[in-house]
Amino acid sequence: MKFNYKVIPVGGLKLPKILLAMKLTIVIIVATLSAVSANTYSQMVTIREKNISIENVLSLIEKQTNYHFLYDKRDISKAGTINVDVKNVSVELVLTNCFKDKPLTYKVFQSTNTIVIKSLDNLNTELSPPKDIIIKGTVSDSRGLTLPGVSIKIKGTMVGVSTDIDGKYSISVPNANAILVFSSIGFNSQEITVGDRSSVDVKMTEELTSLTEIVVTALGIKKEAKRLGYATATVNAQQISENRTVNFMSGLVGKMPGVNITPMGTGPAGSSKIRIRGQSSFGAQNSPLIVVNGVPINNTTFGVNGDFGGQGAVVSTDGGDGLSSINPDDIESMTVLKGGAAAALYGSRAQNGVVMITTKSGTANKGLGVDYNSNYTSDTPLDFTDLQYEYGQGEFGVRPTTPNPTSGVWSFGEKFQPGMTQVLYDGVTAPYEPVTDRIKKFYQVGSTLTNTVSVSNGGANGGFNLSLANMDNSSIQPNSKFNRKTINLGFNQKISQKLSVSGNIAYSSEKNTNPVVVGGQDNSTPVVIYTLSNSMPFDLLSSKRFDANGDEFVWSRFRNRTNPYMSSYNRFENIKRDRVFGNITAKYNFTDWLYLQGRIGQDYFSRDRDFNDPTGRASNSAAPAGFVNGRYTQEVLRSRELNSDFLLGASKSFKNGFAFDATVGGNQRYSSFDRNSVTVQDFVVRNLYTVANGRVKDPFYDLSEVKINSLYAAAELSYKSYLYLNLTARNDWFSTLSPANRSILYPSANASFIFSEAFEGMPKWLSFGKIRVGYSQVGSDNSVGPYANSLFYGVNNNLFPNPSGAAQPVGSIPSGAVPNANLKPSRVEESELGLETKFFGNRLGFEVTYYNKITNDQILASQISDASGFTSSVINVGQSRNTGIELMLSGTPILNKNFRWETNFNFAQNATEVLDLGEGVTEIVSGGAAGSNSIRQTVGQSLNGLYATAYLRDAQGRQVFDTNNGRPLRAPQALLIGTTIPKYVGGIFNSFNFKGVSLSGLIDFKLGHYLGSQTNFNLYRHGLHRSTLVGRETNLVTGVGVNQQGGPNTVATPLQTFYETVNTSSIREEFAHNAGFWKLRQITMGYDFTKMLPSRLFIKGLRLSAVANNVAILKKWVPNIDPEMANSVSDNQEGLENTGLPTSRSIGFNLNVRF
Amino acid sequence: MKKITLYTILFLSTICLLPSCDKGFEETNTNKTLPIALDPAFLMNNAIIGSSAPAETMIFELAIVQQVITPFGGVLGGGNYNQDNKVRNQGVWVRYYQTVIKSLSAVINETATTKTGAPDRSNLYQSARIMRAYAFMVLTDTYGDVPYFQAGKGFSENISVPVYDSQEAIYKDIIKELESASAALNPAKPINTSDVLYGGDIAQWKAFGYSLMLRAGMRLSKVDPTLAQQTVAKAVAGGVIQANSGSAVVRHTSLYQNAVNGLLNGSEANNYFLAKPFTDFLFAKSDPRLRSMSVRYVGAASGPQQSPSRADFTPSVQRGMPMGFDNGTIVAKAKLDGLASFYDYSQLDRFRLGRIDAPMFLVTNAQTKLLLAEARVRGWVTTGSTAADLYADAIRANMAEMAVFSPASAIASADIETFVTANPLSVGNEIKEINEQYWVATLLNGPETFANLRRSGFPALTPNPYQGRDVTPFVRKLTYPDSEYAINKTNLNAAITKQGGDKLDTRVWWDK
Repeated sequence: MKFNYKVIPVGGLKLPKILLAMKLTIVIIVATLSAVSANTYSQMVTIREKNISIENVLSLIEKQTNYHFLYDKRDISKAGTINVDVKNVSVELVLTNCFKDKPLTYKVFQSTNTIVIKSLDNLNTELSPPKDIIIKGTVSDSRGLTLPGVSIKIKGTMVGVSTDIDGKYSISVPNANAILVFSSIGFNSQEITVGDRSSVDVKMTEELTSLTEIVVTALGIKKEAKRLGYATATVNAQQISENRTVNFMSGLVGKMPGVNITPMGTGPAGSSKIRIRGQSSFGAQNSPLIVVNGVPINNTTFGVNGDFGGQGAVVSTDGGDGLSSINPDDIESMTVLKGGAAAALYGSRAQNGVVMITTKSGTANKGLGVDYNSNYTSDTPLDFTDLQYEYGQGEFGVRPTTPNPTSGVWSFGEKFQPGMTQVLYDGVTAPYEPVTDRIKKFYQVGSTLTNTVSVSNGGANGGFNLSLANMDNSSIQPNSKFNRKTINLGFNQKISQKLSVSGNIAYSSEKNTNPVVVGGQDNSTPVVIYTLSNSMPFDLLSSKRFDANGDEFVWSRFRNRTNPYMSSYNRFENIKRDRVFGNITAKYNFTDWLYLQGRIGQDYFSRDRDFNDPTGRASNSAAPAGFVNGRYTQEVLRSRELNSDFLLGASKSFKNGFAFDATVGGNQRYSSFDRNSVTVQDFVVRNLYTVANGRVKDPFYDLSEVKINSLYAAAELSYKSYLYLNLTARNDWFSTLSPANRSILYPSANASFIFSEAFEGMPKWLSFGKIRVGYSQVGSDNSVGPYANSLFYGVNNNLFPNPSGAAQPVGSIPSGAVPNANLKPSRVEESELGLETKFFGNRLGFEVTYYNKITNDQILASQISDASGFTSSVINVGQSRNTGIELMLSGTPILNKNFRWETNFNFAQNATEVLDLGEGVTEIVSGGAAGSNSIRQTVGQSLNGLYATAYLRDAQGRQVFDTNNGRPLRAPQALLIGTTIPKYVGGIFNSFNFKGVSLSGLIDFKLGHYLGSQTNFNLYRHGLHRSTLVGRETNLVTGVGVNQQGGPNTVATPLQTFYETVNTSSIREEFAHNAGFWKLRQITMGYDFTKMLPSRLFIKGLRLSAVANNVAILKKWVPNIDPEMANSVSDNQEGLENTGLPTSRSIGFNLNVRF
Repeated sequence: MKKITLYTILFLSTICLLPSCDKGFEETNTNKTLPIALDPAFLMNNAIIGSSAPAETMIFELAIVQQVITPFGGVLGGGNYNQDNKVRNQGVWVRYYQTVIKSLSAVINETATTKTGAPDRSNLYQSARIMRAYAFMVLTDTYGDVPYFQAGKGFSENISVPVYDSQEAIYKDIIKELESASAALNPAKPINTSDVLYGGDIAQWKAFGYSLMLRAGMRLSKVDPTLAQQTVAKAVAGGVIQANSGSAVVRHTSLYQNAVNGLLNGSEANNYFLAKPFTDFLFAKSDPRLRSMSVRYVGAASGPQQSPSRADFTPSVQRGMPMGFDNGTIVAKAKLDGLASFYDYSQLDRFRLGRIDAPMFLVTNAQTKLLLAEARVRGWVTTGSTAADLYADAIRANMAEMAVFSPASAIASADIETFVTANPLSVGNEIKEINEQYWVATLLNGPETFANLRRSGFPALTPNPYQGRDVTPFVRKLTYPDSEYAINKTNLNAAITKQGGDKLDTRVWWDK
């Protein structure tokens, strides 16, 4: 794939024809293709000047094109002045004209956009710099990758060259004392004296933290990081693609301060949950807005308790989210805009922050490149159970001894003794012995293989990047798979001097086969695997799946605990999503200070899904005579998110050091979602899951549409290069709200002051120092659904007979929520203050941000008494506060030729408080069940309080037991355990590089929050929990405490009854745990083999890394599970642990080859 | 510069269109798939279907009255163990408030006044009031004081935490409502033919209204005999249900299934049994209904062995499961009883009375006649048939009802007459015998069986002897749902204080 860049000979005068052909009306695809052949001249110049010096002509050309000139001023000054009158002509035409009567000639070096001008006087026939001493060499980066485009100049002259695509250069220098200056953006400049060498190879070192770091901010506007008055976090492409997870966000846990990412315990295609600076509202979804290449995409979560309410035979599987479609290899950079100030220009949906993803689109002048990346990981399920293996299956202290026992999930049996047997199923005698390693016995080793090939090219006027990728994942859940194919095309093209077009289009085809059912019992493997008795042989469970009729063999009287092999192999679910998203941007520069940009972006997908509830599953209701039971659902949904916006921008700088940069713009967002589904119940023909074969057919259709129109303006005022003031204002109109309330205007202001540049005489060790302050407001309709303003009726699918048998319609009020026609937008106010400093030549960095965020007029569905007829009410009350500190400490303790050690510590503290819930209201229940574990918002407390039903205690704190039967009693009111939102989130990252071998590791932590563990509750009531060993010898338990009269409790209760009381009396205090943890999250080891490759090989670069993800839990407080085994993306379910798929450790490799 | 001016003008003219920034939003925010108005008659149908008892009555009521029990605890623990079950105590509450009261509130709001030019819906309005009285009787009988006057007004009046009303106030209003609504039903006015209860038959609605009023009156026999007597008199004067065809019944279908029987045919198919006090009572009297209701899978050693080939309906073969055992202790007891396992005890036949589409009787001819007979015995009604005749007719009516479930449940007329002749109402034992029959005649309508057992004290069952019971005496009410403890705390606490606790043995007002 080697691509030779050849110098185009002077005088390619056949080109004007091509120029003529290139009109502004050129279609984008043609433009893209032309980028491939960008060796041709296509940069046009317009100059109308009289008596202008050649030097000024050159400088005008430099302004209008990508070209730059290398020349000796003395040669040029000899040429005097000329008159120029050209319009839209090529550079070489201009030059040819200008030099017609002058002693000058030129040569174009296309690969570097460099034009060398020489005087004819001292030209020795050949058109090239004087051939005094030729120095050749290769420039590479610290990892040995060759660097194209590095500028090499002879110090003190204008003479210079650039490296070619292979990093090679050749330059003539006048003598051995010449000093070559190597420079490139992002690298430290180097000066090397030529001496007597003929070859100078240079290794460029990366600038530790580039002060000219460019950040993609709201609306895709690129800004220097130093100008920003708010906090951002960035992750580079390698971090995203090297040590990855299927949903790439999950791999970024612990890497960005203040960004709390929770991977879901739901299998490969599952969602990721992202929360920035805590959560701003009491509502269920506080996800940030996801923006790809400047345009929001749909991030609907098909996860458990996500955005999407199921229909028909509801099963809770995690069908992923909007980020599931993105191939990490396509990401060029990712920036998280954390605060409201950053997000003010994205409006309502940005109140929880914005994740800005920029995908690759080709870089100008980079030439052709082919990149191949392969990533393989193997996923091993992790077992954190520590169960009792002393007493086996059975109830009331008796092991199964007769056929068809139903104690499958109870371990209240007999003490294991050598030689004991048990009778299972229809009379199978099996050894009565512990069956350990349940997780490993059932779950398998999963794997993920991703292959990506991308081709990019960059010419003088633009470039493109096209990638094709395939990802195959097999889950640890047997028979569960995920495949994703993606095609991503990004391009940018300068059509004329003033008009440029860029765009990208991504297509993904995702096929999710049999995602694991979580959060319930029926058809779900996790609950069963975690609760089945400790002497149940897995081989029997598998071989005795069906009885003689082909129905599920009843193995537990909890028939909802479906045989896990049936759940894996007899239940099916197919989800197919085809998605296309992308946008096209056209930018027109009226002058060098004024531009207009128009952009249109769409994200469209259709999602087909079908799934069954298998016939014969034991907890399914019997079908009427002549039918077999079971259910089947087919569903098709379509989602469209369309954003059109325009932006008019102007910037101007003044001689006195002031500059301004102003934009005004508007956006129209339209999103629609519609869905057809049909569920059938009971079948005529067994094992035929079709709609036609069903007895009862329930069709369903819904449609929702939302529009938001917005106008906004932003201005940046700066003084010199150290004082910046940014102001924004935005007005949104929401279609979901009433005409009187639908408009909201909100401003933001922020400033940054770079004190290290403002004053003379700052100490040398201070490399950079900046203070920033910001205030912002964001208005939102809190994603209140459309049509929330009125009450709707439903007409049932099926009729009901009147006494004479005539079928009659049945109607209902389907919504459990009382509608509210007077909702007004909520408003988040956020202030932030930050300090960014760098010391000792950027070897030490320290950043701190303090924020205070207040959310007013929240829109939420508050649970209300169902005696009202409804279960919730959509109300517009409440005020909550998030305050926090984000810290980042980074340093390079060791840096020498062979060894480099970089370390980074990030930490975020977030404190929340419910300030107000409306008049007379001190508490609302926002999630969970009031009678077990609930999530409540209580005035004066942290958001998301976990309340657990508690044991009754007397005034002295002693536990009270029932005087009659000795069972634990329940307190009348639930107990506040603590918030379910982590108070402290952070990570420690270290990376070492020794002679090209890199090793990095990430430890992360989340602390200060609580969870209510349903898994431990089940383990306890089924006799698997170690705590239930108390009382086993006598099969009686006497609780330690007092009776209802205050005397000591002396009543012994049968063991199983005692431990099952937590269920019948619904007591959950016992299972509320600290949810904090420290994890060794990632280890990556890599080596770049590039420098070992023979120089003539077609492979230009090769890097291999070994990766490990979710390596180990260093510290946790909850027994038996990984505290991250959450499976619900809803904030109203956060902390309500309900047995997800076990977490897994991934180990694998990443191979990157460049051609 | 010309171009700049042009574009600036263009841009400014866009800005000038600002007033249209929400153009078309009304259209966008219009729900295109659900109506904002619906004939209230269809909501009425939803309320009628919803009035059928919920599945949880199997866990509490049917076990408390010792008719159908399971030895299993955990999620199934409740009446069988004389224990509370905080997970399943809200069945009646949820079903009646969230479905029945919710729908009826909308019907009543829509039909209370006839809008000008709109058709007269007063008969629909009156029948909705009767259904509402039925639902509130179930609610207050089950829990005691409940939200009544402010209930169901979440939308219409934005009341999200309704206050609790005393059962006394509720009953007095229910009686007024029933009297007024039954009287106001008018066959001359338009009728509601889509009605799934009576097909719009006003006479039958009237009889249903007055029969319910009779039931409400009799409910107060202990606490306020005077009001009870007055109410009963008015109800009888209005005209109660006379024939089985007038019974109020939800005719479940395979699409709208019977929730109680859903449990019997689903995950708990093998686990529910007829209770020994009930089978013994029927067997002792050679009651032919035992054959209609019961089945025993003789020799079944496990759930899967409850196969049709083992099914035996013979009354003498039936063995009810004794009260007071759990799935641990029942194993030995079954052995002692000479059975293959506890799966060998008799069950309510899930292919006949326990059919998934079996009708649910709300108020029947038989029940009404039994209540009338008691009123006659008490001297509150002095005209019409004698107590003995009413008693005999009630038994006949209930036995005839068996045919509705399945041809295999039907009882031959000769057998009915044999029973009736052999079991006349015996002098001195009238109240006992009448209420024993009421116990049988309300089988599967758990809330009603439970209420009448508490009121009458008959049959004189032995309190559940289960070792680990929460309360020693009979259960007198169900505890309030946990959701109310969390959401409607203040109002609930006031009600609990007034009633003297929220325990299984707390007595409701009419049960003092």
